[in-house]
Amino acid sequence: MGFRAAWALVLLLPGGLIHGFPKPRGVEDKSLHNRELSAERPLNEQIAEAEADKIKNISPPDDPDGLHQLDGTPLTADDIVHKIATRIYEENDRGVFDKIVSKLLNLGLITESQAHTLEDEVAEALQKLISKEANNYEEELNKSTSRTENQAGKTPGKVTLKATTQNGFTNRESDETISNTLTLANGLERRTKTYSEENFEELQYFPHFYALLKSIDSEKEAKEKETLITIMKTLIDFVKMMVKYGTISPEEGVAYLENLDETIALQTKNKLEKNATDNKSKLFPAPSEKSHEETDSTKEETAKMEKGHGTLKDSTKDSSSGPGGKTDTPKEKTEAYLEAIRKNIEWLKKHDKKGNKEDYDLSKMRDFINQQADAYVAKGILDKEEASAIKRIYSTL
Amino acid sequence: MAGPRGRALLALCAALAAGGWLLGVGAQEPGESAAGMRRRRRLQQEDGISFEYHRYPELREALVSVWLQCTAISRIYTVGRSFEGRELLVIELSDNPGVHEPGEPEFKYVGNMHGNEAVGRELLIFLAQYLCNEYQKGNETIVNLIHSTRIHIMPSLNPDGFEKAASQPGELKDWFVGRSNAQGIDLNRNFPDLDRIVYVNEKEGGPNNHLLKNLKKIVDQNAKLAPETKGVIHWIMDIPFVLSANLHGGDLVANYPYDETRSGSAHEYSSCPDDAIFQSLARSYSSYNPAMSDPSRPPCRKNDDDSSFVDGTTNGAAWYSVPGGMQDFNYLSSNCFEITVELSCEKFPPEETLKSYWEDNKNSLINYLEQIHRGVKGFVRDLQGNPIANATISVEGIDHDVISAKDGDYWRLLVPGNYKLTASAPGYLAITKKVAVPYSPAVGVDFELESFSERKEEEKEELMEWWKMMSETLNF
Repeated sequence: MGFRAAWALVLLLPGGLIHGFPKPRGVEDKSLHNRELSAERPLNEQIAEAEADKIKNISPPDDPDGLHQLDGTPLTADDIVHKIATRIYEENDRGVFDKIVSKLLNLGLITESQAHTLEDEVAEALQKLISKEANNYEEELNKSTSRTENQAGKTPGKVTLKATTQNGFTNRESDETISNTLTLANGLERRTKTYSEENFEELQYFPHFYALLKSIDSEKEAKEKETLITIMKTLIDFVKMMVKYGTISPEEGVAYLENLDETIALQTKNKLEKNATDNKSKLFPAPSEKSHEETDSTKEETAKMEKGHGTLKDSTKDSSSGPGGKTDTPKEKTEAYLEAIRKNIEWLKKHDKKGNKEDYDLSKMRDFINQQADAYVAKGILDKEEASAIKRIYSTL
Repeated sequence: MAGPRGRALLALCAALAAGGWLLGVGAQEPGESAAGMRRRRRLQQEDGISFEYHRYPELREALVSVWLQCTAISRIYTVGRSFEGRELLVIELSDNPGVHEPGEPEFKYVGNMHGNEAVGRELLIFLAQYLCNEYQKGNETIVNLIHSTRIHIMPSLNPDGFEKAASQPGELKDWFVGRSNAQGIDLNRNFPDLDRIVYVNEKEGGPNNHLLKNLKKIVDQNAKLAPETKGVIHWIMDIPFVLSANLHGGDLVANYPYDETRSGSAHEYSSCPDDAIFQSLARSYSSYNPAMSDPSRPPCRKNDDDSSFVDGTTNGAAWYSVPGGMQDFNYLSSNCFEITVELSCEKFPPEETLKSYWEDNKNSLINYLEQIHRGVKGFVRDLQGNPIANATISVEGIDHDVISAKDGDYWRLLVPGNYKLTASAPGYLAITKKVAVPYSPAVGVDFELESFSERKEEEKEELMEWWKMMSETLNF
């Protein structure tokens, strides 16, 4: 119910709102925006794609994009690592790794820390491969090592790629840890979404939020804490999704999340101030009462926030409220529109008789809606903001 | 790729996070404001139908919501602008919105042409939402209606008047404020008075239908016509409407042509040639409205004269004479049969009563819609199968013709009986067919007309054949 209310309450879409969104000072520093924001999926497939570009001609005919096993199952992270290791082994050239990784780094698809991790894993895999081969085909292995012993890298039992990474990578350690925790440092492995309280790693990227979390008493307000964590993680995933699908650039995603954290800081500060003044007027309230007050004041905050946005919007419209009717806030209108769109999509999904329902409907629908919305604006049936809002809603589906 | 769209989405996210956090976990909000209460009540109304008065912005939003929910079967368009610049919005519902499918009849509902007669306006907004909802639920009646008809709904022909009426303070609205348009013109007296012309023609000979053809230019140049009136006239000329209803308030009755008395007196039953079908149409509305068809219902006001009311219906002129009204204009300028429905004793009743007005009128509105599928319908084509537009379809015994539309399609509403239908067009030989018409559905009757030149060719050939035969026999 809380989630529903949240969704229903805060879908503030009009463009004007973006200016209303609190932006803390000093976020203009571009260097901060160089932290890449990667989505979860791409690493596996990105590497495979990069590799596939290179090895297109060599890959087996039934696996042209290099993304599947021979039996058709998709590659896992381990597979990818293994593939790279194998490739290095077969071509006897650690440059394979360099090329792939530098490409990924240049595209901003992985971070340097991830590159390091990848390197480690590939090295490990390569080592295993060599040992295996050494056990089975000792003569062949000796031949190849004698051939390549001048190249840095493939000595049995001691495979490190780090020696030659100096050109490609710079080792920045301490500063990067915070920035990189947002990324999938945990993984080349896919992660199932368990939002346990202990899993704060990604959330460390939000210092203010993180502090807030820590400040909540785990025992007494466990549920609230959990909800907060879930909300943040959902948001992070959502932003990652948007980056993945190209709706926003990685820089924008990062900027957004930074703004969000600052906003939370602001709200927290306001809330605490309000609590402080409230508490001053009361004599030693019991802890349970205090938490109840907190909840109440946050609702006031919400109401204030709503009203603030509401009045911002209303002043630009010439609607007079009289006994004959009441005017909608933009939120109510957007809610109504969203609800209508939702029903439409539901119905379309049920009634599409052609195969491959979802993709077909939505892309055609999107085009149609865009066209119609523009036509309606031209005819005075919709105003520009409504049209953009409607188009935006459809583009997120 | 990124840019404003992405930023907006991010704002959405942020708001979600902030709001979700601030609201806490699943808690009801104690002591919410009155505005919050209204919003919640509104959202909890039946299926998106909010039983409240809609001002112009809300009217627009309500129609947009219907369109967004039912994009596959709806389309919003405008017929023009009111004097103060508000769009005369129409929402169209059909299985192929924006397109006249040959053979598919066109229907319209028009409300609130008197701005202070508010119930019709609201009922039509509710109706649009209802049709959309029921369609998606698979309600067979509604699905069939929408597949077989093109339904146009104009909740307000006088949005300026409504704003004036609605802005009045207090619960009681004036009997007159907001009735006319922003120029002070009573729109239901503003249409060209074709009744007068017809009455003259009846005496001296002359047509009693499609009189507009000669008057189109005059209409465009007539400075006395309100922009709303002009908009509607063009609308009627552009779309081959078959059936229509014009929603009013101030009484409770279904009124049918003619509205103007023949003799010029104040009250006099003045029947039109299609009196029989009009009575049936009016009854098809009133009989489903319990209040309207209640025989023991007292008149709306103590001294009202409702002696002309029968089964919740009345001939317009018998009740009181109305010159220049939209109802008769439809009948005499086009194929469209229109009745006037008075929905409420009170012109602008309190908001709380809207739900019960909907309950009282819901079935009538649907049943009246279904009347369009009665009588006879079909196509008029030439011998090559090409449509003949503007062909005349006349019915023996009924002195009123309809004409075929652009695709040669026509629809002729008739009460049950046996008829002789004749299709004719300039340059073609007329054809007459006998038809037995049930109550419903409409009987299909097509005509293939032979042109004069074709007939001449035929006759020539016949002649040649005969000559050939003769010459052979007689050895020429």
